[in-house]
Amino acid sequence: MSTPAAPQPTVTLPRAGGEREVVIRTADLWKIYQMGSEQVAALRGISIEIRRNEYVAIMGPSGSGKSTLMNLIGCLDSPTRGQYWLGGQLVSEMDDDELARIRNQEIGFVFQTFNLLPRATALHNVELPLIYAGVPPQERSARALEALRQVDLGERVNHKPNELSGGQRQRVAIARALVNRPSIILADEPTGNLDSTTSNEIMRLLEVLWERGNTIVLVTHEHDIAEYAHRVIHIRDGKVAGDAQTARGKAREAGAARG
Amino acid sequence: MHLAEAIGIALETLRSHKLRSFLTLLGVIISVCTLVAVVSLVEGVNGYVGEKIAGLGSNTFSVNRYSLDEMTDASKFMEAQKRNKPIRLEEYRFLLDTAHLPQAIAASVGRNSATVKVGARSLEDVHLSGQTANSIGMAAYKIAQGRFLLPSDEQHRTDAVFIGNDLLQHLFGDGPALGQTVYIDGRPFQVVGVASALGNVFGQSQDNFAIIPLGTYQKIYGDQDSLDLQVQARSAALLPATMDEIEMLMRTERHLGYADKDNFGLIGSDALMNLWHALTGAIAAVMVGVSFVFLVVGGIVIMNIMLAAVTERTREIGTRKALGARRSDILRQFLIESAVISTVGGLAGVLVAWLFTLAAGALTPIPFSLPITAVIAAVAISSLVGLFFGIYPASKAAKLEPIVALRAEV
Ligand SMILES: Nc1ncnc2c1ncn2[C@@H]1O[C@H](COP(=O)(O)OP(=O)(O)O)[C@@H](O)[C@H]1O
Ligand SMILES: [Mg+2]
Repeated sequence: MSTPAAPQPTVTLPRAGGEREVVIRTADLWKIYQMGSEQVAALRGISIEIRRNEYVAIMGPSGSGKSTLMNLIGCLDSPTRGQYWLGGQLVSEMDDDELARIRNQEIGFVFQTFNLLPRATALHNVELPLIYAGVPPQERSARALEALRQVDLGERVNHKPNELSGGQRQRVAIARALVNRPSIILADEPTGNLDSTTSNEIMRLLEVLWERGNTIVLVTHEHDIAEYAHRVIHIRDGKVAGDAQTARGKAREAGAARG
Repeated sequence: MHLAEAIGIALETLRSHKLRSFLTLLGVIISVCTLVAVVSLVEGVNGYVGEKIAGLGSNTFSVNRYSLDEMTDASKFMEAQKRNKPIRLEEYRFLLDTAHLPQAIAASVGRNSATVKVGARSLEDVHLSGQTANSIGMAAYKIAQGRFLLPSDEQHRTDAVFIGNDLLQHLFGDGPALGQTVYIDGRPFQVVGVASALGNVFGQSQDNFAIIPLGTYQKIYGDQDSLDLQVQARSAALLPATMDEIEMLMRTERHLGYADKDNFGLIGSDALMNLWHALTGAIAAVMVGVSFVFLVVGGIVIMNIMLAAVTERTREIGTRKALGARRSDILRQFLIESAVISTVGGLAGVLVAWLFTLAAGALTPIPFSLPITAVIAAVAISSLVGLFFGIYPASKAAKLEPIVALRAEV
């Protein structure tokens, strides 16, 4: 009933340009929602590859399937059809517990609506992924504190979300996303609820994470936000409608070629 | 691992909704309170009564017109009223002459309605009994002043009277009583001795009595009332054999055939204790049943509140799953929460029960205490109830798909 398994992709093929291994690879990914008697195909065969330490923006009009794709990449949801490999592992065939482990270890998610626990302090919110990773309490709070310092919130660790501004909340969420040292940071419209000044702060923070070696996938429908990335994948009606480098991406490639 | 976190969340939830928590936990509180209070009351009373009954002596038993069975069962009693004959003085004498095993046999007969007067003071509803001189050896009281009745009082049907402490207090105001004359139902008696105070049992004074020689009693009140015989075995080990001998002799004296039932009753202190336990056991069983119903109601209320919590916190569950919580993590979190909430209710119930036993201990002579086993059992039961009724809500939470939970509108 499912599509025959596509051959496992060869992962590490460093090319002359020093290209890195593929960390995200999808093959003909479909997501069909059942709405009563009607079927809504949110994704209609998405095949993309994202390499380690890439900085990718996914753009497209509202309802085009960006969030659906992000949720699949983030292992929050499973595809109706198609395959998804993360770091060479076939995620689309994994069971619940394995997916939970992948979400915990490999992925840091940043949501538009922050999704912080309202009654917990910033520190405790950041500790959550470590709790589920089984990190002992002392190391846990030390690492959470360190992550909060990285996002400049070292002074706000005992504040609850409602005692923080929107930008600060999103920074707590970013600290939470990076505390377990995931290889991939996924951000679904991370600046959607923020003003432009705060948005730029958040984007600079993501840039720092990218500089430290993280792979970043960002969903946005704003061009100036997408310009922070090096590559933009356009989605329309659940299909890839374009895949191109941004000005920054070109400049970086040129720099890399020269260096 | 994240036990502390789950407990923290549970306590925080209770703190932030105090009234709702109280109402939620009312069922568990009442249930545990009843359970612990009943157990501690029954234990306290049992200990007390056991001590009193044991005071009768573990090697004595009584021979009465009716057995305990017949006295506690209305239909058996009706039947026994026709069949059983009063125990007569001749039968007492026969036993004295023929029984070898008893150490002693005492006889008594009494009524609760005597009026005792000294000058202008009088005391009504005094328990008056006629007794043989040897009954002091099997009695619960000690001699405080003077002496008990003597065999010579018995032989000569004298007007000697031995009085309980209430009579000393009320009629003589603690003044000298020995040698004084008291009027019992209008007849003069000379006080020869006073008993030590026994105190109350269930609010009934045990000191409101007067004892006169058995012969004197029968001369005044007639010899139609059944005697009660107290038989003392030579040792506790010889008690069963002694009871057998007395039963056999009574049956011979009464010409009972092989197939006939006893038409008299033998009551040992163990039979009394058994009756008592059957009685308190029945009360306890009813109360345990009632508290069980409360417990189930309490559990269902907890389940309801946990279902509400799962709905209220669907986004939180989604967030936790997005961050790597497995089904088992979420399951455990809500189970612990449910158990903690229920256990808090159990502890509150224990507290109320404790206050209750304190009050009962202050208002009665019975030394009530909170048995530690009951406390442990109550806490264990309430946490188990929380666990059990938490299973459904917790598994509902655990089964939520991460993305569905994250998108939930709350
Ligand atoms: N849970 C769902 N049930 C049914 N339809 C859904 C669900 N989630 C998304 N969709 C539909 O799938 C399409 C893509 O949605 P989404 O991925 O959220 O788009 P975007 O993030 O690009 O705005 C939309 O038509 C949307 O209505
Ligand atoms: Mg979206």
